[in-house]
Amino acid sequence: MTSTGEPRQYRASAGSRLLAQRFGFAVLALMALATVVPIVLVVAHIVLQGAPAISWEFLSGVPREGMRQGGILPAIVGTFYLTLGTAVFSVPLGVAAAIYLAEYARETAWTRLIRVAIINLAGIPSVVYGLFGLGLFVLFLRFGTSILAASLTLSIMTLPVIISASEEALRAVPQAFRTVSVSLGGTRWQTIRRIVLPQAVPGILTGVILGLERAAGETAPILFTGAAFFLPRLPNSPLDATMALPYHLFVISTQVPEMPLRIQYGTALVLIAFVLGMNLIATVIRSRARARRQW
Amino acid sequence: MRSTRVLLIAMTILAAGCRPASNAATPAGADYIENRGSDTIVNLALAWAERYQELHPEVRISVSGGGSGVGITALINGTVDIANASRQIKPEEIQEAEARGIQPVEFIIARDAIAVIVHPDNPVSQLTLQQISDIYSGRINNWREVGGENRPIVRLSRETNSGTHVYFLEKVLRLGDSDSDTLFSTDTLLLPSSEGIVYEVRQNPNAIGYDGLGYVPPDLKVIAVARQAGGPFLLPSVETVNDDSYPVARDLYMYTAGQPSGAVADYLGWILSSEAQPIVADLGFVPVTAAPQAPTQGG
Repeated sequence: MTSTGEPRQYRASAGSRLLAQRFGFAVLALMALATVVPIVLVVAHIVLQGAPAISWEFLSGVPREGMRQGGILPAIVGTFYLTLGTAVFSVPLGVAAAIYLAEYARETAWTRLIRVAIINLAGIPSVVYGLFGLGLFVLFLRFGTSILAASLTLSIMTLPVIISASEEALRAVPQAFRTVSVSLGGTRWQTIRRIVLPQAVPGILTGVILGLERAAGETAPILFTGAAFFLPRLPNSPLDATMALPYHLFVISTQVPEMPLRIQYGTALVLIAFVLGMNLIATVIRSRARARRQW
Repeated sequence: MRSTRVLLIAMTILAAGCRPASNAATPAGADYIENRGSDTIVNLALAWAERYQELHPEVRISVSGGGSGVGITALINGTVDIANASRQIKPEEIQEAEARGIQPVEFIIARDAIAVIVHPDNPVSQLTLQQISDIYSGRINNWREVGGENRPIVRLSRETNSGTHVYFLEKVLRLGDSDSDTLFSTDTLLLPSSEGIVYEVRQNPNAIGYDGLGYVPPDLKVIAVARQAGGPFLLPSVETVNDDSYPVARDLYMYTAGQPSGAVADYLGWILSSEAQPIVADLGFVPVTAAPQAPTQGG
């Protein structure tokens, strides 16, 4: 059976080609399924193991007995503040940069440089952002280990996601919309502000939420810049350090002896619910926007 | 812009859900103490901070780990009020601090025995300091050489940022000889946490590891250690640490930038008091001041 393969291919019957195609599709379908299986298993495992830990006390109480008892409220609130702080810094900056790149800038060496910078920013490991934040925000700008420093660090990490998604959303708005607006006497800014931006908002919001979601789940960037191992009081200033869900989960899984598994799974469940909840919001926005799209 | 409104509503609900429970609220203008450093001390510092904040609701204490080096660096950088260290501050660190106008002040806040641990199935139950040094430096590679089974030895250590690592290197590997340049064998596995060592020793019947006594769970085997061949071989405990008979014991430290004042001074004073020191024993460390019953015996 070592005769040349090429003619054999032509000689193969229609039936065997159909069989080969079926086999090929089956393999592809299995591959697709393989990407779903881990997420389903992980979520199911964490929900099953973590659900018994969830109670009002767990969600609204402070850690006690060396974090082996009580709740995780300071970590939940901390992650909420960090996510909010990240949004405050990264959304205006990211959307403004995207508007400049998509609407104003011509393709020059300068904009190519900006794009290269954004792509590289996206490829930097998160722990490097953490060290950068430690050097710039914590030490040089003297913000200390604080929510402010951690939010700024997370913002820089989130920027590439927000800029890319926003730019794509702006470019997806048909050119005709702009042409009509300008032909009716609209200025460039009026066109962007009244016509292009509203059409692009769902796409931008989706990108923003996906970016913030990543920020909410990160440990390395906040490790040096704002996260506290144990701080059972809620922060009352942006210059306070804070507990945060991902770091809390890391700490109770690696550093605290005789930590009940129940609390570890419960914390993982709350973190996953936080992130998947944001994902759900993004999905809802996207599907609603698709239904109402004017092009 | 309906979608924006949906998002805002969702965020408001989220924010409302995060409203502080009454016991977590702090009065404004409260004192804020940042405490960072040794992973050996972190759970002790956490227990103290928890108790102290129950007693003094106006004080907020943030506790973080990272290693003794991390804590001392943070003290030098001026980002913490109290640095925890399981080793004494080095002369070059003092110089660096002084160059920035910071005078580190030392407090011995507890004592700690380092337990050498093995898998419970390992028949070896006692070693001399010399044998432990030979094992970790790579001169002894099989449990048979120290009276065990014919199995290879898997060496586990904390990573270099750990004060426990530094202490073990100086006091055990180099046997306290500051001129010695003995190093950990290059195939020693460096683990990032005390918990990591416990986890690995529990899994691996060939492993040897070391950890602060407070971190050793009852299901692992603690090796009795002798200064010289022939004994006495002693297990680490409050008694053997306090009478200096257990050879691998050390002081645990807190450092402040200059003489502490205000809330930090009050907190350190409380830590050294007979009210806080029993917590040290609860966590498996050795208290530095007299046990609470001592004053009544003495007076």
